[in-house]
Amino acid sequence: MIQQLLAIWHRLTALVRRRRLERDLDDEVAFHLAMREADYRRAGFSDAGARDEARRRFGNVTYLKEQTRDMWIFPSFESLRQDVRYALRTLRKSPGFTLVAVFALAVGIGGNTAIFSLMDAVRLQALPYQNPDRLMVLWGNVVRTKVERRGASYPDYLDWKAQATTFDGMAAYDNFSAILALGDEPERITVEMVSPQYFPLLGVNAAHGRTFLEEEDGAANTNAFLLGDALWKRRFGGDPQVVGRAVRLGARSFTIVGVMPPGFKGLTDTAEGWMPFVTAAGGPSAVGERGSRGFQVLGRLKRGVAPAQAQADLDAVSRRLEAAYPDTNSKRAVEVSPLDAETFGPLRPALRTLMAAVIFVLLIACANVANLLIARSEARQREIALRTALGAGWPRLLRQLVTEGCVLTGLGAIVGVLLAQAAMRALVATSPVTFPSFVSPEVNLRVMLFTIAVSLAGGVLLGLAPAAHARIARLAEALKDSSRGSDGRRATRMRSALVVAEVSLAVVLLVGAGLMIRTVRNLMALHPGFDPSSVLSLRISIPRGAPPAAQSTAPPAAAPQTPPPLVASARVVLDRVKAIPGVASASLVSDVPLSGGGAAIFYTAEGQPPVDAQNVPRAYVHRVTPDFFATMRVPVKAGRSFNENEIAPDSTAVVVSERVVTRFWPGQDPIGKRIKQGGLTNKSPWLSIVGVVGEMKYRGLPDNPTPDPDLYFPFVDRAPQVSLVVRTSSPPASLAPSVRAAVRGVDSTITIFDVTPLDELVGQQTAQSRFTMWLMGIFAACALMLAVVGIYGVMSYLVTQRTREIGIRLALGAGGPDILRLVVGNGARMIGAGIAIGVAAAFALQRLVSTLLFGVTAADASSLFAVALLAAIALAACYLPALRATRVSPLNALRYE
Amino acid sequence: MGETRKPPAGELIPGTLDMLILKTLSRGSMHGYSIAQYIQEASRDVLKVEEGALYPALHRLEVRGLLKSEWGASDNNRRAKFYKLTALGRRELEEEAAYWSRVAAAVTRVMQTA
Repeated sequence: MIQQLLAIWHRLTALVRRRRLERDLDDEVAFHLAMREADYRRAGFSDAGARDEARRRFGNVTYLKEQTRDMWIFPSFESLRQDVRYALRTLRKSPGFTLVAVFALAVGIGGNTAIFSLMDAVRLQALPYQNPDRLMVLWGNVVRTKVERRGASYPDYLDWKAQATTFDGMAAYDNFSAILALGDEPERITVEMVSPQYFPLLGVNAAHGRTFLEEEDGAANTNAFLLGDALWKRRFGGDPQVVGRAVRLGARSFTIVGVMPPGFKGLTDTAEGWMPFVTAAGGPSAVGERGSRGFQVLGRLKRGVAPAQAQADLDAVSRRLEAAYPDTNSKRAVEVSPLDAETFGPLRPALRTLMAAVIFVLLIACANVANLLIARSEARQREIALRTALGAGWPRLLRQLVTEGCVLTGLGAIVGVLLAQAAMRALVATSPVTFPSFVSPEVNLRVMLFTIAVSLAGGVLLGLAPAAHARIARLAEALKDSSRGSDGRRATRMRSALVVAEVSLAVVLLVGAGLMIRTVRNLMALHPGFDPSSVLSLRISIPRGAPPAAQSTAPPAAAPQTPPPLVASARVVLDRVKAIPGVASASLVSDVPLSGGGAAIFYTAEGQPPVDAQNVPRAYVHRVTPDFFATMRVPVKAGRSFNENEIAPDSTAVVVSERVVTRFWPGQDPIGKRIKQGGLTNKSPWLSIVGVVGEMKYRGLPDNPTPDPDLYFPFVDRAPQVSLVVRTSSPPASLAPSVRAAVRGVDSTITIFDVTPLDELVGQQTAQSRFTMWLMGIFAACALMLAVVGIYGVMSYLVTQRTREIGIRLALGAGGPDILRLVVGNGARMIGAGIAIGVAAAFALQRLVSTLLFGVTAADASSLFAVALLAAIALAACYLPALRATRVSPLNALRYE
Repeated sequence: MGETRKPPAGELIPGTLDMLILKTLSRGSMHGYSIAQYIQEASRDVLKVEEGALYPALHRLEVRGLLKSEWGASDNNRRAKFYKLTALGRRELEEEAAYWSRVAAAVTRVMQTA
């Protein structure tokens, strides 16, 4: 075994060192001869005699050298070189064929390379952290009617960390946006608040300075802050001396303790700064609430621990916590989810489907080229016959054909990889799906190996097709079929089979593309409950007046005692925005739909029987001004929106979405009914329903993650961060500058961010489907094109083959339409068979893509359309050669004989 | 190819050349010429290696990893290729030698009893 491996190794290296081996061998033999010669001379021979004698004793020098050389090389390698040279020579002789074949293969192989490199870019090891396979995200889950991901509370987190035995460490993390006050230009940045363990767990260290110390987190007088690389370069000029400097975030002052390395943006992938978790939250007292949940926890598994073991471990911990704190922890569990699934999860199923699609495209391309090769091999019958006569065995010919196929796919691969490199960049840049920032698909070694493997597989297929064809042809000959027509039919069976295969693959892709298009259309057509067109949304952050130092941008749990007043009223901002020409209506709102804000509360409806813990009424709360529903075009189903008098902190008016009514007062007049926050015994006041509005897809498309209704409270003018929705009479983006100017006009220190047309937010929700749809569409188009070219080629060929027969038919009185029917009918049979197989395959395969689809199955009109489209184009491809057939002159056809 | 490879007088039993080379080299590193010389002398001129045939055999053994080669200077200071046994070669030699003595003894026994 070792010997064989060694031998292969020696021979492989010999291939590379060929020239040197040759020279060494010459030297070695020359040395031997010289020594022998010298011996003979010493024995008294003449110079010439000594040389002759030495040579005689050595034997046939050339022959023996050749023998020796053969020890070093695989004999087959040598003939492979010949085969490749021969293949290249024949390809050069027919540049048209070569060009078409290489292009078709380049499209197929390039597509495969591009999609594979994307898959490679989202593999586990692509996470830019140490041993990413051991990194887990821990979700605090609640078991309601279904399990919902919620988050952890700080006391829960401390208990998990203390009690779990399967983890090396855990770190809490969350993010919020803060205003970095620096010079005249305040800037909004995303800040991650993290436990100090976070960085060592990820295996990422500061590029300058240090990361957080364990004792720093929540300590009274240390406000440590870490800068992201981009922020450091943008705002601090990349100065390493920045470590130790003070920086203001909102109203609080922090000390920069370090700068993170380039490319590191935290697990949120958008962070530009980091604060210790407890410090950011506002001190240990701010995180003491066990029931206040909302952040995630990063954990690193101990070496060799499987995620399932960790899950079991944490299940035990949650059961203990449930027993110890029934009030806050009943029905609470922890979910252990691998970080790579969290990061890449949504991309993978789409990419797998696309991979399958692009393999289909390659198969079609191969079928096409195989058809071309068969046509050529027929033209080369004489050459092949000659080579056979000269003693080339069947295996030798087969090898030659496969080599030719591989040379073609090899050339295709070279062009394809170039195509893929261009396509990949465009793909990631224009993709509606946002890839994680560290994902950069590239043609690396793995991708290269994949491409080579694909090319070799394709090359073998290409070589086998003409070989199989030749076999069938030889068989036909051997059987000496009497009629020439049936002889031809046998020989063309292979080609027809390839066309059928092409058509069926194209059908699968077209149906797939049709399904994706339908999915996207369904998603787009889905009424979100509001009208997103012509609405601009933006968020503003209004700073507070002169400090006594308190923060203005509140991290989630922070609760400053007596905040100074805001520098401006949001109501004033709203009035200014409303005054802009082109603004139809505008409203303030605590959180923009589909922007990921919004908080859930529990509530109680008056006069309702108590419910068990899993069904406690829960709703999402939004604070709005009276014009909100008009601006969003949300229908008011009963009652009215707020009036101006109700926009006050002590107002008891509430607007609810329909589900509240259908749950508690079906068929009754809901106006005047009362609800309150929290449980029945909660001290909060009863609120009277003044209006009922339609359900909105406020928190996600195609549907809200949970079926909880929305509650609308009157807007309260005291939160520093608010959002605006502005309905415009011109394209919303065009109004963005005047809206910005109007806001700045109120106070120049107000920060404006996330200025986005609502359309775009809706678009982001369907991004993954659109991504899949576009690529599927492109692949299906390629498939259709290739298949049509293939059909056209084969039909043209068949017509040429049957020229004589057609001529006779014409001579015997068949009319043009008869001939047309004959030829098109022939093609239609192939197309029909292909479609039948393709449709069956599409139905069989749709199960695999069901997660990507929305509201559509293969039994859809779009599938029918796809099939009809293909049939039409394919028949057109038959029609042209058929038309040519009708123009055959009987005389010429017969003379041709 | 005018010259045919007619077996010389002291033709080797097929397959023994590899073993003889290995055995020769068990004394230390040598170049091709001295290997040929040694085999001839050690066999008291009974075994005459066709010298050219030595080289395919040497290279074959090297490819199999039984020998290692190295360029060095010969006694008369010419560039020569020296061959050396590898651990693998040494083991091979032991096996072949054992096999050889068994077979040779058996053949001798048969020849004597007949």
